Amino acid sequence: MDSAIQGKKWTLQYPELGTSPVPVEATISPGYFERERRNVFKCSWLNIATSSEIPEPGDYIVRELEILGTSVLLVRGKDGRVRGFHNVCKHRGNILAKACSGKANSFVCGFHGWAFDTTGTLVHVPDEDQFHDLNKSDFGLTPIEAAEWNGFVFASLKPRETLGEALGEWGEQFAHYPFGEMRPVGHYTTSVRVNWKVFMVAFLECYHVPRLHRRIVPDAATGEQNPLCHLLSVRLQGRHRSCSVYGNPNHVPSPAEGLAFKYGPTVIQGEKAKSAKPNGVNPENNANWAFDMNGIFPNLILHVGNGFFYKLVFWPQAVDRTRWDVELYMSPASNAGERISQEFSKILTRDLYREDLSTVESIQTGLASGGLSHFPLSDQELLVRHTFRVIDDAVRFG
Amino acid sequence: MSKVALPEGFQDLEPFVEKWALSREVERNRQRRSSTMQQLQEFYDAILPRMDEIVGYLNQFSLDEMPKDAPRLLNMGLSLMEIAPAIELLGEPDESGVFDAERFHIVEPGAGQP
Repeated sequence: MDSAIQGKKWTLQYPELGTSPVPVEATISPGYFERERRNVFKCSWLNIATSSEIPEPGDYIVRELEILGTSVLLVRGKDGRVRGFHNVCKHRGNILAKACSGKANSFVCGFHGWAFDTTGTLVHVPDEDQFHDLNKSDFGLTPIEAAEWNGFVFASLKPRETLGEALGEWGEQFAHYPFGEMRPVGHYTTSVRVNWKVFMVAFLECYHVPRLHRRIVPDAATGEQNPLCHLLSVRLQGRHRSCSVYGNPNHVPSPAEGLAFKYGPTVIQGEKAKSAKPNGVNPENNANWAFDMNGIFPNLILHVGNGFFYKLVFWPQAVDRTRWDVELYMSPASNAGERISQEFSKILTRDLYREDLSTVESIQTGLASGGLSHFPLSDQELLVRHTFRVIDDAVRFG
Repeated sequence: MSKVALPEGFQDLEPFVEKWALSREVERNRQRRSSTMQQLQEFYDAILPRMDEIVGYLNQFSLDEMPKDAPRLLNMGLSLMEIAPAIELLGEPDESGVFDAERFHIVEPGAGQP
């Protein structure tokens, strides 16, 4: 038997997390949620986009972030730098950019025509003479800190540290993974009646795989060697967390999957037939490795493999309501065969995610019912325990 | 639709063009969910053994510069991957008991935001 699947080794590796059940309060209390808004979301770096969504000067996107109570405008300037702003005209407060993305040299308010350039500077006020000593330099767009890291764009309302400091050891480990070279193959979004943490941690453990995913992945993640999909390794890195997931070497591909892998790399077989392991993943060089699950504080998950990654972002809308954005990224398809192959990976994942989502609303109902006050977590759910711990620390201590 | 819908050599797949040569994922998924297992099986059985020839033909061209009738063949190949889980894993067009497909919005370029 593989050494990775004996005993409660992850708890032994990180004894400071303890073994106590987690209080349900953190998932149902509106007061707790307000403290999360203040102590977690308003002062953390949040992933808003990927660099490839705004590659050229003038490219912009707008994101409505309910948890921050604002609409964020991200724009790449002529100097190549990404800047963030409250998407609000400084004249009378009208929402400035109305499209969710585009290309612009300036942003003109639809109310009176105030115009701002891509650095947020107020450059034109119609009938300016009618104002009383208006100094245009006092009325630039209100900035929101924005920064890029290895293909991702993050923003923060009140950062307490630089993005590099916030990503820490995890960021160093993945500094050279080719995130920026990949492009979205599939993109899904939905709004779900569930607390954002309850939702998020469903993608940070594999204990549920043999039962919940028995139909869509009957043998790719489980097999004789590892029937219960035990984790291969676990890494806690400050507020971030990561683990390596098992792939069954004796997995029997379906006929369509066999074709998909013949035409290109898939999310199951990866690029193992073609290329070496990319930088950052599977640091312990586990045998039978499928991909790594990374939980990046506070609300980003990256599932990272060889030739693909999934980006999952969980946006709280209320204590029991979460907007989910999930994208599969792969190397751009160079021909129709690769395009068809990528479709296999995307559709299998989409159908798998609908299995994941089948439980979360029912869990929220259960948690709010008074039927339980705490939930116990196994050694295999250590990343779930860590998630609740680091958020609770931030909620309590700021 | 032009008189010859598919490239030379693939005319036997023409009965499936109308239903399965769909350019958007959301259309392919709706077609899968509104089909019977027998309809899915007929398409699967017809196209699966032809995939190597289809990909061999399509890979002659760059994705941006395909002859007019080639994208239909590509879209039918994508439809095979759409329906594969129904045939190979589920035994039903769409998995029963999972999250509502109509609430799980597929975001596609040019398709607008949900």
